[in-house]
Amino acid sequence: MNPVLNLSAAPHVRDRWTTKFIMYAVCAALLPATVVGILVSGFHAFLVVLVSVASAVVTEYLFDRFCHKEDTWKDGSAVVTGLTLALTLSPQVPLFLPILGSFFAIFVVKCCFGGLGKNFVNPALAARCFLLISFGTAMTSYGSVDSVSSATPVALLMTGRAVNITKMFLGTANGVIGSSILALLVGGLFLWAMEIIHGEICFSILLSFTLFMGLFGGQGFDPYFLLAHLCGGGVILGSFFMASDYATSPVTKLGQLVYGILIGILGALFRLKSGAADSFSYSVIIGNLFVPLIDMYIIPKPFAYTRKAIAARSHEEKLPLLRRIPRPVLVLTVISVIAGVALSGVYAMTKDIIEEQKRAAKRASYKSVCPGAADFETDPEIDLYLEELDGEPYGMTFGRSTINEFLVAKDENGAIAGYVLNVTSADGFDGDIGIALGLNRDGMLNGISFTSLNETPGMGMRAAEPAFKDQFSNKAVSSFVLNKSGGSSADNEIDSVSGASTTSGAVVNAVNAGLDFFHTVVKGDG
Amino acid sequence: MNNTFRGGIHPETHKSLTRDLPLRPVEAKGEMVFPLLQHIGKPALPLVKKGDAVLVGQRIGEADGFVSAHVISSVSGKVKAVEKRRVQNGQMTECVVIENDGSYTSLEPYDSRYDVSHITGEEILRRIRDAGIIGLGGAGFPTHVKLSPKDPSAIRFLIANGSECEPYLTCTDQLMRTESAAIVEGLELMLRLFPNARGVICIEDNKPEAIAAMQAAVAGRQKLSVLPCKAKYGQGGEKMLIETVAGIFYPASMLPADVGCIVQNVCTIYAIERAVVYHEPLYRHVFTLTGDTVASPGNFIVRDGMSFAELLEAAGGLKEGACPRKAIVGGPVMGMAISSLSVPIQKTSSGVALVSVDESEVGQSKMTACLRCGRCATVCPVGLTPQMMADAVSVGDLERYEKKLYGLECLACGCCGFICPAKRPLVQMFLSAKAEILSRKRAQAGGKK
Repeated sequence: MNPVLNLSAAPHVRDRWTTKFIMYAVCAALLPATVVGILVSGFHAFLVVLVSVASAVVTEYLFDRFCHKEDTWKDGSAVVTGLTLALTLSPQVPLFLPILGSFFAIFVVKCCFGGLGKNFVNPALAARCFLLISFGTAMTSYGSVDSVSSATPVALLMTGRAVNITKMFLGTANGVIGSSILALLVGGLFLWAMEIIHGEICFSILLSFTLFMGLFGGQGFDPYFLLAHLCGGGVILGSFFMASDYATSPVTKLGQLVYGILIGILGALFRLKSGAADSFSYSVIIGNLFVPLIDMYIIPKPFAYTRKAIAARSHEEKLPLLRRIPRPVLVLTVISVIAGVALSGVYAMTKDIIEEQKRAAKRASYKSVCPGAADFETDPEIDLYLEELDGEPYGMTFGRSTINEFLVAKDENGAIAGYVLNVTSADGFDGDIGIALGLNRDGMLNGISFTSLNETPGMGMRAAEPAFKDQFSNKAVSSFVLNKSGGSSADNEIDSVSGASTTSGAVVNAVNAGLDFFHTVVKGDG
Repeated sequence: MNNTFRGGIHPETHKSLTRDLPLRPVEAKGEMVFPLLQHIGKPALPLVKKGDAVLVGQRIGEADGFVSAHVISSVSGKVKAVEKRRVQNGQMTECVVIENDGSYTSLEPYDSRYDVSHITGEEILRRIRDAGIIGLGGAGFPTHVKLSPKDPSAIRFLIANGSECEPYLTCTDQLMRTESAAIVEGLELMLRLFPNARGVICIEDNKPEAIAAMQAAVAGRQKLSVLPCKAKYGQGGEKMLIETVAGIFYPASMLPADVGCIVQNVCTIYAIERAVVYHEPLYRHVFTLTGDTVASPGNFIVRDGMSFAELLEAAGGLKEGACPRKAIVGGPVMGMAISSLSVPIQKTSSGVALVSVDESEVGQSKMTACLRCGRCATVCPVGLTPQMMADAVSVGDLERYEKKLYGLECLACGCCGFICPAKRPLVQMFLSAKAEILSRKRAQAGGKK
């Protein structure tokens, strides 16, 4: 009796967890958010998810076939990529977007760089950013849910308006398919409890994001403000399901902390300064790109070589306090303190200068629309009226246009030279459009100038060019009409900037709001 | 429970197959094979030749130098040959082959106590060396060498390793339950060598009966204590035991004695007691025969030199229709798979598991690309980052492996290989990298001369 026996090197037992198991566990954790997203957004969202996952798997399958690779499409990682991508898409996207995105994620970002574990950024996120840049309009049109507005909560938040946190938490607010914070948290905490994702990453992101927001967000540690920012813009999805992706996060615990803090701070910085609601994706991608560097330099010392171990061996167990703190922690703390002090110092020093410059720029643009003006004065009565409006949109027919300021321009002799109105439209393609209207003493429009304009370069930004802007100059009309087909002849017709009818419409609405305000409120015609 | 080390894994223990089965002596028949190299060090020199008659307990191999160990016959009979035979590590090794006459005529009866109350340290060490005792935990380092540190007074802890953390094995558990008094006596004899040492018996907390038995045996002895440890694979490693007991993790460049510790397996300590008190050399030891294909698994007292196949037959053979896929000697995490059951059981064989499913077989755990999940780093008891080490090995960057990643510190304990969800052969990669680095160093040193 001598059976044929297998020979192999130790270990002869293996843990039950396999690559496949981990991948499907991640899928399972994404499921609650997917289901809520589909329930809230409807059947099309289901199609988006289905198409995204299927095209990811098919892409990997075809790559395996044509490159004669092993069947890696079965390991579930393509499903994770497809599913995560779908969750970052608006429920209304045309179906070619998830197909293109999944192809980009799997083929370009993953397979071309060596497949599982070798991609340099998170494939789903890279695909999302690729789609965002290439198909901006389709990617950022949200909201059949809340037909009143089409902006996501973060976009609202960034323009200083109120959001409904409960809705965001449940996932019924405007946004991507995977926007239910509750469902995402259920999945994310499940993965963390299973020790599939590293708490070092997700919690350091959330913590540093919150801290930075509180310190530099300008609203202090207001729980409403912080919660709204945490719940919006994919922070939860990004930290639990994207930043924690194994291939593009550091292997060591300390590296993971550094990486998480980096993403958190970048995310908050972008959120505060960039004006783009989707900026969290970019901060995770930048974090991804730092991973090889982090892994190259942050290597933990084996237990035998830590300071404490060496001290214990040489029986000098009492170290001074500073030397008992691991050096990287000390260095990181010192760096962050220095950076924090420097940041707040620069902020404090430049705050007044920046304010002054803003005021000067505003005056210059007021003067440009009101020739002959030497000084501007407020009108107490009108100001009282404006206070009553309290930043609410003016009128019913001008979109979301707000009257901010009304000034009476005086010439050098103190006589009335004209009037200036500052109007903001929130209907711009990307953030608010600020417009200064200059009127002469008789109420004729001298012209307009932009106090803020962040539209798409080459499209909406062309509203600032004379070809569009000067159409408003020297017109004695009570309202304008937007002509999208061009070739306007009437005084009150404005030719739209081609390809930027949203921007053009917002400008016309804002100007009309200003004119209406002038005629009905200031002059009291109505 | 704080008595543990950092890292470690929790494989399925499979100990319930045999944990409550008492030790049974099993007699050998037929041909017995005694490899002359069962220990770490130089092979022993044969003392007998073909045709010589030998008795139980007779020395048949003489230690060659200090770091070597004697080989003892476990049966009486005639020497059939002194020739190369296949042994459990798969190599052909010089062996003494003895035809067992079945009478077990012994050199001495080994059943009467000698007076050890005034025995000197030197005498104890001589007895241990004469008995051919080596580390029975699996490594097989000659015990008299381990017990002869440069400065015996610097030893603070004498650690008795009863953790038995490898899955399947239960014979140490049973030995502690039945021979607790003898183990304590052995430990006290060893303590005479180290005036400043305390004896600590480490037992995993999944062996409550053994803990209770040992606690009862040490009761009232000031220098001895029992330390129940958290049940976790890796606990039986020398460095992990020292971390648990003394709180020190020392680098590969140091020996346990350099940090004031000496670790001995309780089976070795039992052998020491037999050698010093009864003058009985090491020719039999405890052994677990287990696995899902074995008809009646159990804990046995086996004689060295009998084959695994013979033990299996004596114990009742395989289950009806069962066919083992793999035979693992010494526990499945660090032990070795043997190619054939006809190789001899030697001093360091602590058990064999005949399993019907080979978990490391391709297909059941197919290798995928590394996910970079970092599980390997969380279980490494040394604090290494196996993921980075494997990366360095696979691109051939041995410089980074050695200098930046401290790859030579790897104990090959198998924790990372067990936990890896991508089923990558981490331990093999590290062993080959270590071998490569060490051979380059040797070549360099040789070149300088």
